[in-house]
Amino acid sequence: MSAMVGVLKLVIADDNVGVSTGLVIGYYLFIYFQPSDVKDPVIRPLVEHDSQSLQRLLPEIPLWVKNPDYDRIDWLNKFLELMWPYLDKAICKTAKNIAKPIIAEQIPKYKIESVEFEELTLGSLPPTFQGMKVFVTEEKELIMEPSLKWAGNPNVTLGVKAFGLKATVQAVDLQIFAQPRITLKPLVPSFPCFAKIFVSLMEKPHVDFGLKLFGADLMSIPGLYMFVQELIKDQVANMYLWPKTLEVEILDPTKAMMRPVGIVHVKVLRAMKLRKKDLLGGSDPYVKLKITESKAPSKKTTVKHKNLNPEWNEEFSIVVKDPESQALEFIVYDWEQVGKHDKMGMNVVPLKELTPNEPKVMTLDLLKNLNQNDAQDDKFRGQLVVELTYKPFKEGDTSKDLDNPLQKAPEGTPPSGGVLVVIVHEAQDVEGKHHTNPYVRIIFNGEERKTKHVKKNRDPRWDEEFTFVLEEPPLKEKLHVEVLSTSTRIGLLHPKETLGYVNISLADVVNNKRINEKYHLIDSKNGKIQIELQWRTSS
Amino acid sequence: MGLISGMLMGIVFGIALMAGWKHMMRYRSNKRIAKAVDIKSLSSLNRDDLKKICGENFPEWISFPVFEQVKWLNKQLSKLWPFVADAAEAIIKESVEPLLEEYRTPGITSIKFSKLSLGTVAPKIEGIRVQSLKKGQITMDIDLRWGGNPNIILAIEAALVASIPIQLKDLKVFTVVRAIFQLAEEIPCISAVVVALLAEPKPRIDYTLKAIGGSLTAIPGLSDMIDDTVHSIITDMLQWPHRIVVPIGGMPVDTSELELKPQGKLTVAVVRANNLKNKELIGKSDPYVVVYIRPLFKVKTKVIENNLNPVWNQTFELIVEDKETQSLILEVFDQDVGQDERLGVAKLPMIELEAEISKEIELRLLPSLDMLKIKDKKDRGTLTIQVLYHEFNKEEQLAALEEEKRILEERKKLKEAGVIGSTMDALDGAASLVGSGVGLVGSGLGAGAGIVGSGLGAFGSGLSKAGKFMGRTITGQSNASKRSGSSTPVNSVQENGGAKPL
Repeated sequence: MSAMVGVLKLVIADDNVGVSTGLVIGYYLFIYFQPSDVKDPVIRPLVEHDSQSLQRLLPEIPLWVKNPDYDRIDWLNKFLELMWPYLDKAICKTAKNIAKPIIAEQIPKYKIESVEFEELTLGSLPPTFQGMKVFVTEEKELIMEPSLKWAGNPNVTLGVKAFGLKATVQAVDLQIFAQPRITLKPLVPSFPCFAKIFVSLMEKPHVDFGLKLFGADLMSIPGLYMFVQELIKDQVANMYLWPKTLEVEILDPTKAMMRPVGIVHVKVLRAMKLRKKDLLGGSDPYVKLKITESKAPSKKTTVKHKNLNPEWNEEFSIVVKDPESQALEFIVYDWEQVGKHDKMGMNVVPLKELTPNEPKVMTLDLLKNLNQNDAQDDKFRGQLVVELTYKPFKEGDTSKDLDNPLQKAPEGTPPSGGVLVVIVHEAQDVEGKHHTNPYVRIIFNGEERKTKHVKKNRDPRWDEEFTFVLEEPPLKEKLHVEVLSTSTRIGLLHPKETLGYVNISLADVVNNKRINEKYHLIDSKNGKIQIELQWRTSS
Repeated sequence: MGLISGMLMGIVFGIALMAGWKHMMRYRSNKRIAKAVDIKSLSSLNRDDLKKICGENFPEWISFPVFEQVKWLNKQLSKLWPFVADAAEAIIKESVEPLLEEYRTPGITSIKFSKLSLGTVAPKIEGIRVQSLKKGQITMDIDLRWGGNPNIILAIEAALVASIPIQLKDLKVFTVVRAIFQLAEEIPCISAVVVALLAEPKPRIDYTLKAIGGSLTAIPGLSDMIDDTVHSIITDMLQWPHRIVVPIGGMPVDTSELELKPQGKLTVAVVRANNLKNKELIGKSDPYVVVYIRPLFKVKTKVIENNLNPVWNQTFELIVEDKETQSLILEVFDQDVGQDERLGVAKLPMIELEAEISKEIELRLLPSLDMLKIKDKKDRGTLTIQVLYHEFNKEEQLAALEEEKRILEERKKLKEAGVIGSTMDALDGAASLVGSGVGLVGSGLGAGAGIVGSGLGAFGSGLSKAGKFMGRTITGQSNASKRSGSSTPVNSVQENGGAKPL
């Protein structure tokens, strides 16, 4: 732009009327009277091409043809192609609507009368994906790298009116080639199953277009195109070139992860005036309590035999994940030696009724069920007295470790030492001769820890975390990890079996702070185990 | 040399400059367009194209199946699976349980999940095919295979026996899912998604049942009953032409075009049966016939006692929605104390019928509709019926829809009055035939009430929850959704408040 103005100025300053006249005539002759419509290009099927034009095609050949690690996604291309006319209209409409108020706000500043779109279409050519590559890591993330090429024929014509003159600016033939890396993480157990999207460009994108002012393409002035292209590339690269990323949050990760946010302490004190259920003697009541929306097993008090006004005074702690929606459920049962235990009554306390860190004694009327309209529910079934205290974890405890999996060691850790965290994620292809009910045994410094048993599974997943507090960094120690299986049948034959083991030296963990890897199991055919190790220090 | 020649030189220079620029413009423009064309033509290559480009050095890792392979998607899916399984379990439990309740066969009094975990093996997408069969719609077929290790325990209460836990093991699902995207000119450009399982190739869902702490044989016929229930749900809800319509994007869209609508009426006269098998120890069988197109809406004839060649001469009218794919099913039962025994079943594909031509057909009774399950070739007798298919015109279709509206309201009233909702099973209930009309009774709801009228009466029930569930799994957001595919003038009752477009 400035270059052209410079040339014009030079010509006029020279008072060379001839050149300027020539320019004007030339302009009208070659540019003004030429049609500037954007036409749909003619696309010939490949079969009609001769070998020479095929040669020209070669640099544009999609990555999936060249590289076996790229997958073809022509079905997506087809989908996009069919959807493109609709997308085109929708996007243009939205763009116009967004641009309008911005333009209206900006033009008075520049003494421009009006700016409006004379033409706005994205053209008939949709973007195409030239291949898709995915990477599999041990972390909880999905990484994919589509190769995106959009060589379109859009037509964006802007009419600008100022000082009684009208100018048109037209952008045509936009071409964008980019290779974005899309990472979805962290993965969470609620739809859509990931919390954030990270996008970054692996290479500087290729951008090319034509920009016409009064019908003349400024981008074809030698040198200018290069300059502008570099400028755009650098701008984009500054913002999104890897390792810089664009982050889009989909779900609130703390909520989506369903991490514990607090603990509720429950003290079941006593019940009064329970109704008699047994034919002989009184009832044998006990209380079952559980928290809604949780898979944790319910907890039970002891049974008070033949007592309709039992006193328990028993305490329980239950992990809370969402105090807004979760509720505590109390059910009083009548214990029976034989047969089904009768329900004597129940009630529910939503956790949001509790003030954090404040003990609250509640007397609950026992109901038949939770259905408020049930006519049968009028009967008096007795009362239950409980004391509840909700203790939320301190703020920041939970949100921080999401962004940074490395936590600091808790207070009270020896200053020179730290905490070794071992997370047993999963194993693959473990197989026993007689049975495969795998669990993992970890031995470190003589301390032994075990995971739960997974029944009949060759690819078990535990996701269990163990911590060891140490006085000194374990530079020379090793961690012994062993996968075992126990028989489900009671018998003397093959009660226990080793499915494989591995010894992991811990020096690397101390240096790296965190290692998440799959290890091949020794004494196993193809077995592998994924172990995450962390070394947390207080500093 | 003067002013004029200077001027002329200047003009020529100016014109030349402009011509040069023009040339440059055209050159750059042509280059860009050529590139656009190249990329476009390379965006959908087929085998021949590639052969032409690569010549001798054809890359061996490339193949062009009808269904395009999606290895990358499978990789991602298997990684995501533990999280999807966790997220889906609650939703499935919530939405499938009412369905089981609805479609359960008489004989089972209650069926619930007592444990549901989807296991560690992710489904595999064998391939994806995208086509445009109709303007403004994209049809996507997904070839899905799942040989999973889910742990599903059903708590089943059957008549006579208390709750028994039944484990569903070795679940295998092979099916082609068809998703039709209705395009729109507003973002997100898709106004609705229609989901169904393709009938061809037939969806295959295999599993083995195991009673925990007992034997399945403790209740005779239980595994068949469960099979029946599962089969009904699949064929009647999901298998093409039945479908689930999920509106997307929050704006109200008219999806009535996408939904299945009454297409015609089938008048069936059950005339007689010949040479039925005797199943009774004393005397002869007491046969009756159950007639339906969709299992949720069955009608039955009266019982003719002690006769192996019974004559019924009873006429029913059934609604047809898709003549191309639906079939008329006739089941002959022997009324008995306790569980009625099936004497045989016959199937008549609707496509074999010509409109407006009355036809008498003699059908051979088979032990089962599943050809794989038929063991013997014993003769089970024949069933003679007379059928007349009448195609609806616009007014009749509208009238059928109007009728549907009316019946819906009637049903609502009945429900309020507490008539419906009794636990009687449809087939055992004193129901069905009153006056000249036909009362169709939904088996799940059960009913002691038949509807009187000259038109058609029917019960259906809101399965919108199922639609909701599908909506969530597909779109990640829950929208009011409609289930379509009512075989009778009954559409889903919109219990979640979604308005039905009529």
